[in-house]
Amino acid sequence: MSDDERVQVDVIVVGGGPAGLSAAYVLAREGLDVIVIERGETAGSKNVSGLLYGTVLNEMMPGFYERAPIERSIAKRSIGFLGDGVQASICFGTDEWSDPPYNNTFMVYRSQFDKWFAGEVEEADAALLEGMVVDGLIYEGEDEQRKAVGVNIRDDEDFYADVIILADGANALVTSEVFEQLNMRRGKEPQSYALGVKEIIGLPREKIEDRFGLENNEGMAMDLIGSPFEGLVGAGFIYTAKESLAIGFAAKVESIAKCGRTPNEIIDGFKQHPQVRRLIQGGELLEYSAHLIPEGGYRAVPELIGNGVMVVGDAAGLVNMSLYHEGSNLAMASGKLAGEVAAEAKQKGDFSKRTLAAYPEKLEGTFVMQDLKKYQGVPEILDHIPGVFAEYPARACRLLVDYFRVSERSKAVIQKEALKNFLRGLPKIQFGRDLLRARKLM
Amino acid sequence: MVLELTLEDKLYRTRFESDPDHSHIEVDDEVCRLCETRICLSICPAKVYTPNPNDESLIAVSHENCLECGTCRIACPNEGITWRFPDGAMGVKYRFG
Repeated sequence: MSDDERVQVDVIVVGGGPAGLSAAYVLAREGLDVIVIERGETAGSKNVSGLLYGTVLNEMMPGFYERAPIERSIAKRSIGFLGDGVQASICFGTDEWSDPPYNNTFMVYRSQFDKWFAGEVEEADAALLEGMVVDGLIYEGEDEQRKAVGVNIRDDEDFYADVIILADGANALVTSEVFEQLNMRRGKEPQSYALGVKEIIGLPREKIEDRFGLENNEGMAMDLIGSPFEGLVGAGFIYTAKESLAIGFAAKVESIAKCGRTPNEIIDGFKQHPQVRRLIQGGELLEYSAHLIPEGGYRAVPELIGNGVMVVGDAAGLVNMSLYHEGSNLAMASGKLAGEVAAEAKQKGDFSKRTLAAYPEKLEGTFVMQDLKKYQGVPEILDHIPGVFAEYPARACRLLVDYFRVSERSKAVIQKEALKNFLRGLPKIQFGRDLLRARKLM
Repeated sequence: MVLELTLEDKLYRTRFESDPDHSHIEVDDEVCRLCETRICLSICPAKVYTPNPNDESLIAVSHENCLECGTCRIACPNEGITWRFPDGAMGVKYRFG
């Protein structure tokens, strides 16, 4: 095909998730010619996620939560410990979280939310091509000059662009091939992944609000660790939606492989814990889903630019896997910044790697890289304190339950026994060391 | 009852539009035959991988149940799984996600 026949635009975005859509939104608003290519039937139809933190989206679209399909804004959070037949939790919140901007924390269903976001991006004049698969990129030049110039669409014509933004998510088949082709630097450590498995359980609105102590559109986000996750580097969650609950867990793939249970058995065990069962019983299963989460953190973040390409979101491993488990907000921050840098490059008429380097440089100054840096030790810490997800939480529950055991023995005896039970079989030096390590997870 | 569902029940409630003629997953029989871990049998959340009934040393693939998480690709120690994206708009279609 001759050069004047080929479809050439300013920017092609591979993947219509939060990272890619943010990039496309910024670019379209700057007046650039941008195409988003999404393999799902609609944006979001391949996506699964937990909570949505909306600070970056709120900068791009102030008050987005008035228009977006939000299930509930999160007014209460809790951290729960589960043992065999025992439980303990702390639950916290403030009235402020019930008012805009709702602490920027929302429960959304990504299939619906991403579809809405994609609609806004189209409204801003980006072209959204859904149901199309990018099989790889098209390159020109050799060695140092080798450059991505377009994308190969399965069973369809190719598209060409000055810059290609890679936002193909956690299961980044396209990005990973580009790394080989353009000889881009991988992270200091290989990427590691957690598998998230989730069920959506339908329940009447009134039941949800009664069970979780909520009013109006308030929502609750529960994180749970303990005995259902024995042997895993992982934890469970329950989030409330309008007329359904999302319940599931995420755990490091290697730990699932070793634990002797299948992912389906793990989620079933979690659902059957007596404290969890009470929250979901009587409900009806609406969907079962699974997705990967890149968890290697800062040390696994690769080079974010190559000749003609920028990598954003999960494809770049931008996930904060600490207690905050924040992913989509980092995705949107990186997408927005990559979009801004691509727009500047267009203005200068210079798309060289040197110009694109402004993206990783600026990203270093944002919460994205600052948070990843702060928590860079987390993956290693979690690997080294296997007790943190199951044994310690179960012991903590037991300690509380034993402490408040009512009998006619003196309180001094009861307390002494509770502590003795807590410490039984616990290697003390290791416990001390683990406590010090665990501090870094906060 | 939500607490007593089999995996088959769960997958039945998830929306798929599967391509009956083309599998997006291929396994390398030579790798499977020599595999000691057979981790694909247990790591897949949708049980896409089962022992081949005709030859227990091989793996059968039910690609139509694939949730497209990609875990098998990462977990297979010998790169015996070739995993491509299904054709556009095919495969799993989450209604909630």
